[in-house]
Amino acid sequence: MNLIKRYITLAAMVAMLGTTTVFAAEQPESGKNYGVDAWFIHFDLDWNVNGGLPEKALLVSLQGLANRNAPQLYIVHPPEFQWEITGPLFDFYQRKHGVKFHELQSADAALTQFKDVAKGYVVWDKNVGASLNVAFTIAGVEDVVVVSEELIPLVEQHGLKQFDDLRGRYTGKTDAEIYQDAYNKYWDRCAKDRVMLMGGNHGAVRMPGMADWGVEQKMFFHDLSANLNNPAHQAELALTRRIFSELEPGGYVFGWHSYGKDTEEQYTTLLSMYGLRMEGLHNLPNLSFNNQFTFTPGFKFTNNHSMPLDAKLMAEEKVYISFVQSDSIGIGVWTKPGRGKLPFGWQVTMNWTEFSPAALEYFHESATPNDYFIGGLSGPGYMYPNSIPADRFPILMKRARELMALLDEHIMEIMDNTAADGNVGNTDLTKETVDAYYREFPDVIGFINGYGPARTRDLRDTRPMISYEYYIDPRRPRDQVAADLNELIALNSKRPYYLLVHVRESNDVNSLVEITKQLEGPIEIVPIDRFLKLAASKKTYTTRYQDPEDPKHFEGFPKE
Amino acid sequence: MKLTALKRLLIAGLFALGLTVMATANPALAGHWQLDTTQSTALDGWNKMDLTIGLDGSKVSVDYRMQWRATVHEATNVFDTDTPVALDEFFRVEQRHMAVYPAKHGVTKAVAKWIDGDKTLLTEALTPVEVSQGDVMMRITTEYRVSETGDRLTVIELHSSRNRPLVYVFNKVTGEDAK
Repeated sequence: MNLIKRYITLAAMVAMLGTTTVFAAEQPESGKNYGVDAWFIHFDLDWNVNGGLPEKALLVSLQGLANRNAPQLYIVHPPEFQWEITGPLFDFYQRKHGVKFHELQSADAALTQFKDVAKGYVVWDKNVGASLNVAFTIAGVEDVVVVSEELIPLVEQHGLKQFDDLRGRYTGKTDAEIYQDAYNKYWDRCAKDRVMLMGGNHGAVRMPGMADWGVEQKMFFHDLSANLNNPAHQAELALTRRIFSELEPGGYVFGWHSYGKDTEEQYTTLLSMYGLRMEGLHNLPNLSFNNQFTFTPGFKFTNNHSMPLDAKLMAEEKVYISFVQSDSIGIGVWTKPGRGKLPFGWQVTMNWTEFSPAALEYFHESATPNDYFIGGLSGPGYMYPNSIPADRFPILMKRARELMALLDEHIMEIMDNTAADGNVGNTDLTKETVDAYYREFPDVIGFINGYGPARTRDLRDTRPMISYEYYIDPRRPRDQVAADLNELIALNSKRPYYLLVHVRESNDVNSLVEITKQLEGPIEIVPIDRFLKLAASKKTYTTRYQDPEDPKHFEGFPKE
Repeated sequence: MKLTALKRLLIAGLFALGLTVMATANPALAGHWQLDTTQSTALDGWNKMDLTIGLDGSKVSVDYRMQWRATVHEATNVFDTDTPVALDEFFRVEQRHMAVYPAKHGVTKAVAKWIDGDKTLLTEALTPVEVSQGDVMMRITTEYRVSETGDRLTVIELHSSRNRPLVYVFNKVTGEDAK
């Protein structure tokens, strides 16, 4: 080959390499962890302490360790599991992220694959419930898996050595004493911007599906009580408050409160007082896996706005109805029959942009033109705004604005059950809280308030704040739901009437379609963005805030 | 016609008896009643409902004991079959997932009478309620019907704002049941 030929060949190679480089850069399949090899295992629905729980606890602790540096282990739950989307997300990871999944048939197979990520094991005491949470804390900070005694031979077959044994250590001790001991030993080494509230099911069945995330992130696990009304829980409450006070401002409380100790309202009120954010539930699976992916390259959230954001509408003499589902879309109506048949607002857990971007992308990808996403719940996480310290509120809401902009969301949903009783009772916002929202969200279409019905209402410039008029309990007979809605339409006889309906998770859209056929009057079912625009155009509702004389179910916690 | 002492006594006795019959037309209504949820319109936001009905002359008191999880709410409405009453704190069995609340400082006007051969108590209440468009009036007409055997009470409640009546069926709680 002469010099010229060599030059031409070299130039051609350079050109080819350049072309290849350009081509690679344009490939959509270049996201973080694209094409990774990963493993998956199926879970069943047996979470009994004396049944399927021990093996599941072992596997989720192993999952947390295996996923520390890369997405390696994913758990597929049955469609009947509360989080219904692990199956659809499994498909999504293969399709959009090129994940090459390999099935593991058993815990033995999982240990064969991943034993090297664990330095040993810790034994929890099946007779002392809190010991499982202590074991999860140890798993995170010491890189070990958690086992009950019958699983010791299995992990030892894989060469794992015992690191600690909690059997008998906490017998006869209270949960406050157990967690205080764990706090004394491990809190210093745990994450300080997040904590794992591993409560939920209590007793014979427990469901620590989120433990992988806590282990991966070295969180402190507990199910301490926030029950101010139970004299026996005051030591637990004091420790809860100490931990909250030592978390970084704006930190996360992952998981869920214990169904056997306190209420969602008590716990969320308490953490809100410290400016913290709840991110649940206790059984939310696979965050240690989901956290390892970003949005696919080029993906951009575009909401299904039913009109331009600056559109001006004029309400007619009608009854306008809008449906919203706010229990986090992953546990909601999304996978139920009929989605798309009615306009539906979906409250998005905004922090999933950080923890589960693929899940958010999946929801947006599979949205129908009738599905519209809204921000919430109350801010960048689940919190009760009446209880958030005034100096923390602007910082939290700045984060909420940023996330809403990323998600192309223009409606903020607010919920405050500080003074409520489950999904009934006083769910209203004080005027100070309403003022703060109007101040922090100048560009939204409007606000929604409540979970159950509420009566906080306002209209400032073009931004209405409308509370739910009705909450559809999935157990309520459909003919009675229709009768209830018809009664609201009769009692609110001015037109237009704005009837905002909260649809509880596990309702299905098909049944809502049947309800709407039984409604009487000049009905129009509209998307939530249109609903709020109409509510801004002609105000037939009163302005109202929480009245200090209104009955309260809970008067709140004393300030420290 | 001159009334003898005996006749006067007889007339006075009949009058007194008549008053008694009018005031306690159906004594079987009195007592403690427990909701049979399987036979009743579904409660909304309540798990349990007990009634204790008292008869005292022309007065009829209806004590409600409502329960939602650990929350218990107790309230009493007192009617008078002789005269209309005004109630400052009238209790209405709410469908608690509806944004319909007792109006603040609202006064409920109510009447009551015995009908259908004095077997059934009929009450009618005009109660102000707060909805999102302001305070409006709701008329609640209620019949309390006791079964022939006296162990079942059917309460039929009709709202001026609702075309479908709410039907609550109760079983009588005897001393033995209560133990």
